[in-house]
Amino acid sequence: MGQLVVNGLALGSIYALVALGLLLIFNTVQIVNFAQGQLLMLGAFIGISGAVTHELPMALAWASTMLAMALIGIVFMVLVYFPLRGRPPFLVILTTIAMGIVLENIALIIWGPLPVSLPSPVRGPPLRFSGVVISMHQLFIFCTLAVILLLQYLMLTKTRFGILMQATAQDLHTARLVGIPVNRTIAVAFAFGAILSGIAGLLVAPIFLAEPTMGGSLGLKGFVVSVIGGFGNLPGAVIGGLFLGLIETFGARYISSNFRDAYAFIVMIAVLVAWPRGLFGEKSSEKV
Amino acid sequence: MTGAALLCLIGFTKTASADAAACPATIPFGLTTPLTGNLALLGTQARNGAEFAVDEINAAGGISGKKITLTTEDTGASSTDALNAMNRIIEGKPLVIMSSMISPHVFAQTESVNKAETPFIVGATNAKVTAQGSKWLFRTHAHDGQLADLIPEYLVKSLKKTKPGILVVADDYGLGASKGIQAALAKLNVTPVAMASYAPSDKDMSAQLLEIKDKGADSLILFGRPSDITLVLKQMGDLGIKLTTIGNTSIVAQTTLNNLSAAEADGNYAIGGMIPQTSSDPKILDWAKRVQDKYKVPADNFTVSYYDSIYMLKSIIEKVGCDKPAIRDALATTKDFKGMLISYQADANGDLTHTLGIYRNKGKTPEFTGPIKESGF
Repeated sequence: MGQLVVNGLALGSIYALVALGLLLIFNTVQIVNFAQGQLLMLGAFIGISGAVTHELPMALAWASTMLAMALIGIVFMVLVYFPLRGRPPFLVILTTIAMGIVLENIALIIWGPLPVSLPSPVRGPPLRFSGVVISMHQLFIFCTLAVILLLQYLMLTKTRFGILMQATAQDLHTARLVGIPVNRTIAVAFAFGAILSGIAGLLVAPIFLAEPTMGGSLGLKGFVVSVIGGFGNLPGAVIGGLFLGLIETFGARYISSNFRDAYAFIVMIAVLVAWPRGLFGEKSSEKV
Repeated sequence: MTGAALLCLIGFTKTASADAAACPATIPFGLTTPLTGNLALLGTQARNGAEFAVDEINAAGGISGKKITLTTEDTGASSTDALNAMNRIIEGKPLVIMSSMISPHVFAQTESVNKAETPFIVGATNAKVTAQGSKWLFRTHAHDGQLADLIPEYLVKSLKKTKPGILVVADDYGLGASKGIQAALAKLNVTPVAMASYAPSDKDMSAQLLEIKDKGADSLILFGRPSDITLVLKQMGDLGIKLTTIGNTSIVAQTTLNNLSAAEADGNYAIGGMIPQTSSDPKILDWAKRVQDKYKVPADNFTVSYYDSIYMLKSIIEKVGCDKPAIRDALATTKDFKGMLISYQADANGDLTHTLGIYRNKGKTPEFTGPIKESGF
């Protein structure tokens, strides 16, 4: 039982990280980026290129991955969001789906179809409590999620950028009229969203392996988590992620492993029926 | 009069034979296989084997002086795309068509190939692929039915394990194999203590592994693709679950072993199509190295069987020429065609592989324990 809790929370932490990336972009431009999973995949492969192929020190590999992801996030915004800005949101959402497919194929061309592993930045024997095993990497995932959650909370609520983001999300034209650098704000949101995906990729690659198609399922789970938690809600993304990880793990153990993916969507539908805006939903959820 | 008639008959037969044997300036082969999507690795390894053989044959002068052109179409991971890919291949009027190891794709394509009346060679592993009644379809790779019989038998009789858990990938491949394994275990009076599966996109199999451990399994029968088998074995190591593990050749595939530690890989068994890495023949090891160097992807059992298939076709076309029914008939009567690692022999269904390999990992190095033959061969 204890082991299932640990593994469920570790899986849920990954889902939560993907959802946090989705949230940043959603809170700024009210768009769901369905290529978030593929950005995660790019982060994993860029990390592997740095740490494994070019044998960079792990800290440098992580730093260069985050920098690369920031640039990719901005390029993504220029290619996908800007040309369709002001059009119906579903057009942008469809374009993000298409971009996800493009990114998968680019990764296949660059890195090939082989699954590859990235070493964990933390080493050491696993901790054992009454038969429950917690690996160092799982601990690192929990800590990383906690730090990111705190930083994102502070950024959104205590910094000027957070206020600019909220203003941009509420009314882009008015924000521009009052002198808010709207494009720069959106660019920072895309950059941070991509960085968060990159971090999720770096965390996932040591335990799940990196391959070009790894992002599809994780991105979709990140979306489910966002819906469960309430789109745009920070605690909702984290609690929703952990909740989904536990549901999947316990469902696979005690009900049937054959329907593991189905649990996510059953829970999502159940939550939407009971709480149409998610567990912690805010008004902006109606734009999803 | 009779003599003149006989001469006429001989003359006619010769002309007919010469016409049937006539090959175009280049001999067109078609191949559909997944090169994108989550099955891209398997499809790429198969494509590499076929392409490598074609390049070798062409470099050596082709088939009776005629070069082979291999047209490849990507099926992605969907059966609909596989059918579309096959229709594009058929439009090119190939002499022979090869398709992938993904059984649902082959099921979707078979009717179209039957209508095109073209010899059809596949690696699809579902036992029922060759039971469709197609006289054009042949398989040159081991199938699940063989594995489903041989793996339980080896586990129970040779490894003396009687409380297996079963963990398979929840797709046509894994679930099909699971049914066969359960039936074979029942014949051996063994009941699996736990049966679990995971979706092809799943990354966390810890719940299934814990269930199998909690139910007291003494062994694990594991069926999946290299990437998910890697995760299962890694997670067994992380959870400290030590079970005698046996399954398909993904367990000993180079792509799996590359991502495992020696402790995670060590001692696991596999039964399946032949892999080149365990050969003691330096020529075969050199071949595997050249394939790896060229494509940056290790050669596996599918690479070997698709490579052999091309050479089998070369041998047949050299004998019967470029006549589709004649090629089909020759495939159907194949006997002791010597491939890279095994000899191929056609049975009544169109299956040509009846010898499989038993492997065991010593650390991260797979070792060939010995061949195992399908009953009756």
